[in-house]
Amino acid sequence: MSTSENRIFALDYDQHDFANGLRLITVPAPYPNVISMYIVVAAGSRNEVEPGRTGFAHFFEHMMFRGTPDFPPHRYEAVLQETGASSNAYTDDDRTVYHTTFTKEDFETIVAMEADRFQNLQYSVEDFRTEALAVYGEYNKDSAEPLHKMFEVLRDTAFDVHTYKHTTMGFLRDIVEMPNMYEYSRLFFDRFYRPEYCIIVVVGDITPAASRDVVERYWGAWKRGSYRAEIPVEPAPQGARERTIDWETPTLPYVMIAFRAAAYSDSAVDAPALDLVSFLGFSENSELYRKLVLEEQKVDVLYSSNADHVDPYLFTVLTRVKNPADVQAVRESILDRLRRFAAEPVPLEELEKVKKHLRYRFALGMNHSEAIASTLAHYVSLRRTPETINRLYRTYEALTPADLQSVSSRYFHDSGRTIVTLAHRGAGVDA
Amino acid sequence: MRTILLPDSSPLVTLRLVFRTGAASDPPGKPGLAWLTAQMLSGGGTRRMEYAEILNAFFPMASDVSVWVDKEMTSFTAETHRENLDEFYTIFRDMLLDPGWREEDFSRLRDDAVNYLAVALRGQNDEELAKELLYQEIYRHHCYGWHNAGTVSSLQGLTMEDVRGFYGQQFASGNLTLGLAGGYPEGFAQRVIADFHAVLPARAPAAPALNQPKQTPVNTVLIAEKPARSVAISLGFPMDVRRGHSDYPALLVAQSCLGQHRMSSGRLFTRMRQLRGLNYGDYAYIEYFPGGMYTLEPAPNLARSHQIFQLWIRPVEVDVAVFSLRLALHELEKMIRDGPTEEEFQRTRSFLSKYVNLLLKTKAVELGYAADSEFYGIPNYADYVRSELVHLTREKVSAAIQRHWRMDGLSIVMVGPDAGRLRTQLLSSEPTPMTYNSPKPEEILAEDRIVARRDLNVAEDGIRVMPAEQAFA
Repeated sequence: MSTSENRIFALDYDQHDFANGLRLITVPAPYPNVISMYIVVAAGSRNEVEPGRTGFAHFFEHMMFRGTPDFPPHRYEAVLQETGASSNAYTDDDRTVYHTTFTKEDFETIVAMEADRFQNLQYSVEDFRTEALAVYGEYNKDSAEPLHKMFEVLRDTAFDVHTYKHTTMGFLRDIVEMPNMYEYSRLFFDRFYRPEYCIIVVVGDITPAASRDVVERYWGAWKRGSYRAEIPVEPAPQGARERTIDWETPTLPYVMIAFRAAAYSDSAVDAPALDLVSFLGFSENSELYRKLVLEEQKVDVLYSSNADHVDPYLFTVLTRVKNPADVQAVRESILDRLRRFAAEPVPLEELEKVKKHLRYRFALGMNHSEAIASTLAHYVSLRRTPETINRLYRTYEALTPADLQSVSSRYFHDSGRTIVTLAHRGAGVDA
Repeated sequence: MRTILLPDSSPLVTLRLVFRTGAASDPPGKPGLAWLTAQMLSGGGTRRMEYAEILNAFFPMASDVSVWVDKEMTSFTAETHRENLDEFYTIFRDMLLDPGWREEDFSRLRDDAVNYLAVALRGQNDEELAKELLYQEIYRHHCYGWHNAGTVSSLQGLTMEDVRGFYGQQFASGNLTLGLAGGYPEGFAQRVIADFHAVLPARAPAAPALNQPKQTPVNTVLIAEKPARSVAISLGFPMDVRRGHSDYPALLVAQSCLGQHRMSSGRLFTRMRQLRGLNYGDYAYIEYFPGGMYTLEPAPNLARSHQIFQLWIRPVEVDVAVFSLRLALHELEKMIRDGPTEEEFQRTRSFLSKYVNLLLKTKAVELGYAADSEFYGIPNYADYVRSELVHLTREKVSAAIQRHWRMDGLSIVMVGPDAGRLRTQLLSSEPTPMTYNSPKPEEILAEDRIVARRDLNVAEDGIRVMPAEQAFA
C-alpha cells in the first residue's frame, strides 16, 4: 500500500486555533451529504484526582444532556430529532467525547446547539439526583459481565496512587454517593468544559472555510479557564501482585496478565514497540494462538492490548480457559511467551507482517465520515493533532527486532506484573 | 442467484453473500446445525489450507470473513484492500466453495457455539438473555423456537456428517444473493459470479413452512433466576407486519415515538429514565435487533417472514422491577389508546426521513440492506421509508397502532434474582409504590399512584420460574 508522502492519514485537513484556545480540525471527506462532528474534551476519569469523586467525568457526560435555559432537554431533543441526527457520547480514562452525525444542511443548527450546552449548561438539583440513578443503573447492567469486574480489580491492584487505579465508571461506593455531589458538578463543569480542553473534529461534506466560519460564530466567545489537575505520578513498580475473584454464577475461568507499560508516544519507541509486541504475541496468526486456541484448544479467548494512554498504563493479556485444570499451564505459556520477547529478537519477517497489518487495518477503517472522525477523536485527545497518526506509523515502520527486545526486557519483568484470575466459586482453579 | 453490484472508485472492496437459509431450516432435533455449518465455512480451513494457514495469510491484509446466522438468512461479509483482492478472494472462494471439513475445526467451533450459549448468554449478558428467551417463549412449537446457535445438548450431538449434509442441501446458487461493492477491477464481478455458479447446486431447498403462533389473551411471565444486581426485562407479542406491509411505515414512526433504539427521544426513555431515573434506558422494536447494547444501528440480514413487537427495559433494581414493568405497560397502553401527539408525529417523521440516510454508512451495510429489500420485495430501504413517510398522518399512525399493538397476550421475561418475591408481587393486587431521592412534580406522583396499582393480567399458572442455567439446555 502506498501512502502519499509517507502519510498513513492521507486526507487533507485544516487545523485551526481560535483565540480562546479552542482547536478545530476539519476534514473534507468523499462521502456526500453527511457530516460527523466529534467534540473532544481532553479530560476523563484520569482527571478525577480528588478522593470520593471517581466516576465523575462519566457522570458529568450524562449531565450534559440535561439542558440549558435556551435549550431545555425536550427542546434539545426536539431539534436533534428534526435534524435526524444520530447522537451520543462516551467517556474513558483520558477523554470525554460528544458525537453527532447528521445531514450537511443542519451543520449550523447542530454547531449552535452544541456550543450552547458547552457554555450555558444548567440543571436543577432534582434532575441531577435523578440522573445519578441512571448512572447507578448503568453500573448495575454492566455488573453481570466478568470483564468489568476484572478490570476494576486489575486497576485497583496494579496502581497505588495514579487515577488509573479506578475505572471510568468509578468505585461503586462513589457512584452511590453521586446524588449528593451537585455543588461539585458545577465546579467540574467550570474546570474542564473550557476551550483549552476541547478540540472539535468535523469530517464530511464541508469545506474548511465554512467549518471555521460557523464554529467561530458560536464558540468564539467562550471564555478560557485556568484549572489544571495535578495527576499523581505512580511510583516505580514494587513487585508482582495477584488477585483472584470468586464469581457467583457459572463461567469458564478468565486470566488477565498485565504489566505496567509506557505512556502513548508517537516518537519514543516504548509504547509503539509494545503495540507491535501485542500483535506478534497474541493475534490470530501468532504462535501462541495457534497452540492454545487452534491446536490444543485449551482456551477460547486470547487477546492482548497495549491501549494508548496519556500516562503509563498497562499491557494486558486476557484469556479464557476451557478446563479449570489448565489455568496454571495456560498462564505459564503466556508468561513464557512474554519472557521470550525479552530474551530473543523476533524474526524480521514476522515483524514486517504486523507493520503491514497495521497499515491495512488503518486503511480499512477509514470507510465513512463517522469512522474517520471517531479515529481522529482518539488521537487528537492524546496529541491535539491528526499529525500524530502519521508520526506514530512512521515510528512503527522504523522499529527493529532489537527495539522490541530491548523494550520488552524493560517492561516484562515480575516487579511490574499484576495477575487477576476470575473463576466460578468452587471451580477448582489453582491459580 | 441474484447479484447486487455497487462499483465505485474506493480502494476497498466489500463482498457480502447472503444465503436464504438459517436456523429455521435446522432439521428436527438438530437446532444449531445452520449456525455450526456457517461457522465451519467462515472459521475453519479449506481443502487446500488449514485454518491456521488462512489466518496467517489474512493477517497482513487485516481482513477476515465474518458470518451471521439468523432464522432465514445466513450472511458472509468480508472487506479487503484492492491491492490484496486476488490473494484474498482466492481463499475466500475456497472457504465457501471448497471447505476442509476438518475434525479439529469442528470440535473447536462446536465448543465456541456451546460456550456462546452456556457461558456468555446464560451468565454474562442478562439483557440479551431476556431478549432471546422472549423469542423462545413466543415461538414455542415453531421453527423460530430455538436460539440461532441451537441448544447445548443438540450442539453436542451434531456430527461432521450433519454439517456436510446441511451444507450440500442448503447452500445453493438458487438461494444466494451475491453482493459486491467498492473499487474491484473490471471482470472481477463476472469471475465471482461464475465461480459460485459453477460449484454450488442450482436448485434452492424449499423454504421452511412458517406461520405466526396463536396468542392466548392472558399475559405470561418467565422468570430466569440468577444472582445479579438488577433485573433485565423484555416483553412482547407476535405481529403480522414486516417491511413492505402497508402499516410498516406507520409502525416505524410509532416505534420511534415510543422508544427509538438507544436515543433519548422516545417516551419510554423520557418517562422511565429521564424523569424517574429507573434505569439506563428503555426502548421499543418492531424488528429483531440482537446485540442492542453494543450497537447504535440495526444490523442488516436479519430479515424474517415474521416479526414481534417488543419492549426492552434495561436492568432495574429488584425493588422497583414490578413498578417498572407496570410503567412500561402504562406507556404502551397510552400509545395504543391515544397514538402520538401531532407534534410528536411531525418531529418523528422528520427524524426518520433523514435518519434512514445515515443508516447506510458503509458498503457492507448498503449491500446488506439491498439484500433485505429484495427479501421483502421493496425498493431501496431509504427510498422506501422516505416515500412512504410523505403520505403518513398522525391518524394513520394511530390507526395502525390500534390494528397491530395489544395489551393482552403479552409474553414477559425477567432475568435476575429473587424470583419468589417477583412472582408474589406479580400475582398480588397490592400496589408497588415508588419513592424517589428528590422531589417530583405532582403530575409524576399522581401517575405513579395509578401505575402502582395497574393490573398485570397474570394468572398463577401463567408464571414460570427457571434457573438461568437451564436456558438453551
